[in-house]
Amino acid sequence: MNTFTIPARLARPATVSETHAEAKKRATQLYREWYRGAPEMIAVYSLNYSPQYVRHLLRQRFEANRHVTDLRAINVLLLKSRQDYQETMNAWKLPDQVIGILLKPKETQQKTFLEKFYTGRDEEAIRPAASGVV
Amino acid sequence: MSLLRISLAPCRRNTLQAACRTVSTNLSPNSTPTINKEPSDVVVPLPARDVMTADVVSGAPSELRHRSVRIYQPTRNTMQSGPGKGERWRIDFDVLLGGGRWENPLMGWASSADYMQGTRVSFRSKEDAIHFAEKQGWDYYVQLPEVKRIPPKNYAENYLYRKDKLRIMRTK
Repeated sequence: MNTFTIPARLARPATVSETHAEAKKRATQLYREWYRGAPEMIAVYSLNYSPQYVRHLLRQRFEANRHVTDLRAINVLLLKSRQDYQETMNAWKLPDQVIGILLKPKETQQKTFLEKFYTGRDEEAIRPAASGVV
Repeated sequence: MSLLRISLAPCRRNTLQAACRTVSTNLSPNSTPTINKEPSDVVVPLPARDVMTADVVSGAPSELRHRSVRIYQPTRNTMQSGPGKGERWRIDFDVLLGGGRWENPLMGWASSADYMQGTRVSFRSKEDAIHFAEKQGWDYYVQLPEVKRIPPKNYAENYLYRKDKLRIMRTK
């Protein structure tokens, strides 16, 4: 494992994809890199996850933006994800940032009545009723 | 006080707005509007505007797409004589119905889980505010300011006879 050799090895020049096909190709390429980097991520941050689970969580990030058709937005998303990948793989992050932000599960667990009661508040009440997606 | 709700865009509802925005991303910004000479009950769609979908990039929680915001002009500060900042337009979030607020049982402190309740964004013009709300995918409505009518002062009016009405001594 040669993680700490050259941090700039993951740096890429900023590119702007002009067509949707090009953007799709870049997104697939980026997903592949995330996918292959899962075991290394576990080793670097000493995560107690299996590679399959990490890949599942990373896949959720990509799936959440599947509906985006705006090419400008796709370009920004690709850039941010690429930067995120570089920061993660170079161990520029803390384990908490990886576990709590990058790999935080998207699906929220339903709280029981007693759990809400013990907390003293109902945080689900602030979620609007129309939001079937979230 | 009644809120004057005016929907400037035809795509105010969430589902329609999403549809409009997906269409707008595929069309060129200079596309000409289609004007149909048909009866007035047929809704003519406004030309699709090229609005960037900034909400997917910004990292804001997706719940915000289902919140409604108010675009309004704040009233003049009554503690000041000047009309400073009176031309600004502001966006703030509607209060969530049904909760997210509680009182501390011991101390009685008021708390809220609504992280947008104190947020307000200021803009130079109404169009800027509308554009920002569309970019963020927020469900907005515009509250137009009340038109102030200052009647011209007339000294002789103080002494006019009015039936069944007491005379008011205006000192200013």
